[in-house]
Parts: sequence; C-alpha cells; structure tokens
Amino acid sequence: MNDRRSFLKKSAGLAAVATGMATILPAHANTLSSTKWDEEVDLLIIGSGFTGQSVAVNANRAGIKVTVLEKMQVIGGNSAINGGWFAVPRNPIQLAQGITDDSPAELVKDQMIAARGMGNEAMLTRIAEKALPAYNMCIEAGVKFKKDFNIQVGGHNKARAIRLEAGTGGGITTKLYEAGVREGVDYRLQHKVEDFIMDGDEILGVVVRKGYRFPNEDTGHLVRIRARKGVVLASGGFARNMKLRFIVDPSLDPTLDCTNQLGATGEATLTAMNHGALPVHMNMIQTGHWGSPDEGGFGWSNALLSIGWHKGIAVNPTTGKRIMDERADRLTCSAAIMACRHKDGSPAYPLVFFNKNDHLGDDRVTRAVRDEMAWEMESLEQLADKFNVPLKQLRSTVEEWNQYVINQKDPDFNRKMDSAVKLEGPFVVSRVWPKVHYCMGGLKTDLDGRVINSSTLAPMKKLYAAGEVTGGVHGHARLSSCACLEGLAMGFIIPNTIKADA
Amino acid sequence: MKKIIFIISVVFIMVGYANAGDLVDIKNGIKGRVNHEALYESGCNGCHVGSAREYVDDSACKDCHGSINDIEIDVSQLKMSSANPHESVHYNQGASCIACHAEHQTKKPVCSECHRTWFEEM
Repeated sequence: MNDRRSFLKKSAGLAAVATGMATILPAHANTLSSTKWDEEVDLLIIGSGFTGQSVAVNANRAGIKVTVLEKMQVIGGNSAINGGWFAVPRNPIQLAQGITDDSPAELVKDQMIAARGMGNEAMLTRIAEKALPAYNMCIEAGVKFKKDFNIQVGGHNKARAIRLEAGTGGGITTKLYEAGVREGVDYRLQHKVEDFIMDGDEILGVVVRKGYRFPNEDTGHLVRIRARKGVVLASGGFARNMKLRFIVDPSLDPTLDCTNQLGATGEATLTAMNHGALPVHMNMIQTGHWGSPDEGGFGWSNALLSIGWHKGIAVNPTTGKRIMDERADRLTCSAAIMACRHKDGSPAYPLVFFNKNDHLGDDRVTRAVRDEMAWEMESLEQLADKFNVPLKQLRSTVEEWNQYVINQKDPDFNRKMDSAVKLEGPFVVSRVWPKVHYCMGGLKTDLDGRVINSSTLAPMKKLYAAGEVTGGVHGHARLSSCACLEGLAMGFIIPNTIKADA
Repeated sequence: MKKIIFIISVVFIMVGYANAGDLVDIKNGIKGRVNHEALYESGCNGCHVGSAREYVDDSACKDCHGSINDIEIDVSQLKMSSANPHESVHYNQGASCIACHAEHQTKKPVCSECHRTWFEEM
C-alpha cells in the first residue's frame, strides 16, 4: 500500500495547508475507515520456518488465535531443508556425557567472540535462556533427535549441539506443523504478503497475494487481511535475492549459488523497510566456501570436503596447480576458490580430490558419488581428461605434494600437514564453488521482538520480527546450530510481548 | 467422488493406451491428466471453484485421492526408501500436492531443487 502511504502524506499536507495541523487526525481516520478488509484475524505470522512455527504454536497455547501465511507450496521455509543442528546448553544428552559446566552464558560467550564486537549480548542471552524450553517443546511434539548424540561444532567451546535424526530441520518443522494443525493454528500456503496497511507506525493488516505460485508474480489475486493483534515477520533471510545481496555486498557475485530454499528472497524485509522499519548489518552475509556447483541447496559437499580438506588437495583445473592451504579459514579459501576463472570470467570450478581406497564405505563418499556430485576416477589421466586439466602439470603437482607429505612441510601455502596423506589413485573428485548461506543482517528489534522505527528509533506498533529476518543479533558471524535455537526460542518471547502490548 | 474414481478407472482400462497420470490433450488446447478425463466433462468446475484462473487448493485433489501420507506410490521406483516424497523428512504433511504435481503441464517436484538426480519431471 505505497499508494495509501503517499495518499495519507498528501492528504495530511493539503489539510495542513488549508486549516492547520489540527485537521490531520480526522483526515487520517477517514481514509482508514474506508479500508475494506476481505478478512479479519487476530495474530498474523508471515513465514513457517522454525520461528513462524514456534511463535504460532506458543501464541496459540497462550490463547491467541493464529494465522500463518506461507508464500511457497510447502511448509517450513529454509528451516525445512537446513542441516538440523540445534545448540542446547544443559540438554539431557550433554549432561549424560558428563558435561555439567555448560550454561546459556557459556554459549553467549562463544557467540560474542564470533560476533566480533557486533553482537547483541542481551538478546543472545534471552534466546539462550529459552533453549531448554524450546528443546522440550520439540520432544513433546514428537521430534526425534539422534540418540546419544551431542557434539562440539565450530566456534563452540563445549559439546552442546544435538542433531535431528532425519539430519534436517524438517524433523522439527514437520512435527510443529502437525502439532499446530491439531491445536487449531490456521496455516495457509501460497499466500504471499505484498504490502502492509499502516496507520502511522501501527500495522493494521496486510495485502496478500492469495494463490501465489512462486516465482510467478502475476499469479493469484490480492486480498486485504486485517490483523487485530499484530503481525509477526518470521519470513527469513534474503540470501536468494541476487539483486539485494549484491547491493549490500558486491563481493557476492552472481556466480555464487545459495544453500537456501528458492523463496529466501526477503521481500517482507523490504516491505517493512518501506514502511519505516530500521535495517541493520545488511552486508553481513555468511558464505560457505564448501559449496558444490553440482548439487542444489546445502547438499553433501560440506561433509565430503571434511575429508577432502584434510586428505586431499584443491587444484585449479585451468593450471593443474594447487590454489590454497586447504585447511585455511572460510574467507581465505573463498577468495582463492573464486579467483579460479576461465578467460571469459566464468567460474573454473576448483577440483578437490583424495584417495578413494582410504574411505571405502564412508557414507559421506557413497551418497556423493550416488547423487553425481562427486566422481570416482581411476587415475590422474582419467581425472585430467574428464575435467580438462593440463595432465603434465597435474602430475607434477601431485608428485610435489607427495614429497611435501613425506617432509611434513608445505612450502607453497604453509598448510598444517599432520592430517595429510600421499595421493595415489583411484581418487574421489568433486568440484567446489562458494555458496551464500545466511543473512546476519535484517530488521532491528527491541529485546521483546518489536520492530524498531527508523525515524523515531522506538518500537513500531504491533509489528514484530524474529529469526533470520532480524539483524544485529549475531554480529559478524552466526555460529552453527544457533539459527534453529534462535527461531524456536523467540517463539517463547514474542507471545508474551503481544500479550503485554494488548 | 469415489464413484468418479471408479468411472475413471473403467475408462482408463477401456482406453488402455496411456498410463494413469500421463499428460494428454483434453480440448481447446488444454492439456490434462488422462485419468482425469471424466472430470473435464463438466468443464473446469470439477476442480476450480468459479473462474479457472482462481486459486485451487489441495481439496480438489484430496477429495478423491486422500491425503499425502495415505496415497500409495510405487516404492520400487524410488532412488532409496528414504526418498519417499509422500513421507518427506522435510515437509511430510506440510507439502501441497502442487509442490510436485501439476495438472495442465509437466512439473519438476520441489525435492529436485536439491536432489537433482532423484526425481523426474512428471
């Protein structure tokens, strides 16, 4: 409703000119009363991932009637396809493992280090303190986690990450959805929010494209839904919005694919900004250097490369030479990988390969080969032929490498050699190219989840946001297993805020 | 609706040249599934309510076929047993029929966005 906004401004301006400021309010009220609603609901939640599901179930249990709008043809957003890691300090498996010195504060300490001075400690603390209730909600909904499994993942100082049995966040979103349906939450697929209807900085309702068929923008038809108790933005990140991500971070060139579901395009974020919401940290976008161009989504590549970075080498197919310290950090590796280009600037996907016979029967390898994102190659000749690598140089690269392994020294990139092995065929080969993964930036909220107004820096009325759509929580880097935690935890906070605001 | 299924089955057996679910010309350039031919007898309103351009929700499918977990599929055709799209670990009951199926054109199932080698366009 940009029209409505500009109309309000115009009518206010005209009224002010004619009879002074006192007439603005009546003019305002008149236009609002003329808004025709197709439907009225209480609480409207936009998005059906971890955040949307948890807010829906918990608000509904708190006696608030809930309607969830999902623009795609499936429930769950990106959470449904995520890796299924969930950080829970003091979870029962952790305690059974004898780890008794963990706490929400310990988790926040790790997150604040990763945030590099840009995180929100108070917010992270509120979230971490809801980890156990969120875990219990999952268990009660029938969610299955891997038995006796609780490990330490990147950036955490303790083993506190549990994982879904199914290996994906869908293990949670499917069960919360089924619980929500049983308990009376109203879910609607193919409902895309096109605009907000505002009264000043209070949200009254939304304009929705009902019957939307992603990504076709002229499908469905527009309806106006009044949301009496407010609107919760749980619409996720914008990693799939090529134009927006390139504007905020020009290093994310169009050759970079994305781990996210196709609908992670962030238009609800932009609509909120258009109506005065304050965005922060929009350029802080997490990229994984472990992506593969030969599969969609997050895929198998990261797990496969957990072998490759240690037991193999990464080679530029145009030169046949190694490109980096394969064990270096994400930024270093991303830069080295993305520098591999053909003459026309198109990606020359680097090849990572290791010895096939050292990893026979390893699921990380067998599923990758089965799904044709990795290949078994008998020899360097076969490898060079398939990927068009100069064979002579490839041979000398491998010979040199094998000498480095014997010497335990990598004079080219100074890689730590303790896990390196000599390379001899047959090999397992895959191609790598970074993928955009997670948006740390988004809408600024207060600690209770109210969206902040960019003009007053005070909370907007009845407009709430949580999860990846928000920004400023994780600072420079969100740690693994913490997106699931954040979304589920905020479901315990937002309903209280809505009740307090009523 | 059960009666319609019976009629469709009989028609299908009699025609015998196409597999259930095959996309065929129905009329006026509109394509449809061969096992739905009887539904087209009454125009578009067998599935669409009001205008054919309007939103069709899953009830148009579920009234005859049942809900996703109850619809049996030929599991021998699956890449592996865990790749059953009617019992998906990602979506399960949260998947709309039209996330994978289309009536008037072929469609790639939503799963194939990531699992590129598991499913064929239907």
